[in-house]
Amino acid sequence: MIDALLLFWLMFKAALFSTSGSGNLPILHQDLLARGWATDRNFAESLAIGQISPGPSGLWVISLGYLLDGLRGALLTLVAIMLPPLVVLAINGFYRRYGQHPALQGFVRGLSLAVSGIFFVVLAGIMKTAGWNVANVLIAAGAIGLGATRRVPVLLVLVLAAAIGILLN
Amino acid sequence: MAGATDREFAEAQEIAPVPESHVQPSPPSAWRQLWIWLNIGIQSFGGGAATLYLIRREAVERRGWLSDQEYARYWGICQIAPGINILGLVILIGWQISGAVGAALALAGLLLPSAAITIVLTALYSRIEQVPLVQSALRGVLPATVGLGLLLAVGMLRPILSASRKEGRVSLAVAWALLLGSVLVVALTSAPVVAVLWGTGGLAALANWQRVTRQRRAS
Repeated sequence: MIDALLLFWLMFKAALFSTSGSGNLPILHQDLLARGWATDRNFAESLAIGQISPGPSGLWVISLGYLLDGLRGALLTLVAIMLPPLVVLAINGFYRRYGQHPALQGFVRGLSLAVSGIFFVVLAGIMKTAGWNVANVLIAAGAIGLGATRRVPVLLVLVLAAAIGILLN
Repeated sequence: MAGATDREFAEAQEIAPVPESHVQPSPPSAWRQLWIWLNIGIQSFGGGAATLYLIRREAVERRGWLSDQEYARYWGICQIAPGINILGLVILIGWQISGAVGAALALAGLLLPSAAITIVLTALYSRIEQVPLVQSALRGVLPATVGLGLLLAVGMLRPILSASRKEGRVSLAVAWALLLGSVLVVALTSAPVVAVLWGTGGLAALANWQRVTRQRRAS
């Protein structure tokens, strides 16, 4: 049973202590898996849906909220991710004074390094759920190849992958 | 994804330079503001880059709500602010147009269409999730998501690593050490991720500060 208030707090906390639309992913992955509220598969599903939805790619968490707790989960996630960005209003003056400080620039850089590093761990977890076999590795490699061209829409990549999944079955 | 959005931002910047001097127009009505943001929200298929481009075109080029310099400054603030960077950006722009009301309208307008579509898509998916055909389709989608996620992570890493390389071997070594360190700590221990994120940020802050201080002393 999912506690709505706690889910709201976890979503809020993950966005508050990270920056960008994917910085919250490693935090949520740890918190939600530990409670048994989400699976690696839920993360993959919501990331895929987030990729084909319009708007900032960070809205994938709304999809995750829906998968975990239905419409209530989606709506409370929506509110939870709207609040942390309001901090920008408070740090305007701070940024004017310290925005170019080497320590601050280093901090932002370190944060991104850790987010992408932990991303690899999370992705390895999703791959483990899918199964480390030749077909899956080839599909992942194909998605990388098509995505790297930046010419093929993400939706098309996912549709192709879905078609391969159906054909392989 | 600070790295990728930096690049997106740079691309958006190149599209049309806007003259520095501009007259601040009187703010449009609340309905008009909401309408403009809704339009951006509805049109922004294709992820963050597309949304960012539409925001810049509307706020800087068409409406003249803010100058190029302000836009660049705002985007810089959003890089260090919590949460989705684009939401921070529209909050700042909305605030500049008409205070708290403007910020609320900007958030609502940008989020309503895209959040609604995300919810509808997820609802549709969870309805057909158990259908065998969908199950086998998902078997292909799962590894593809991993591939796209890897691209995202590499896109985040690349600008940081290349900036570090330009600063010298020590910087590059520090960046790699922090990257591998965060991977190992999260993979092998049950340390809280927030602590790992902020710890890595803190170490990188110290390293960069020291590097710049030493450079200044040398010159």
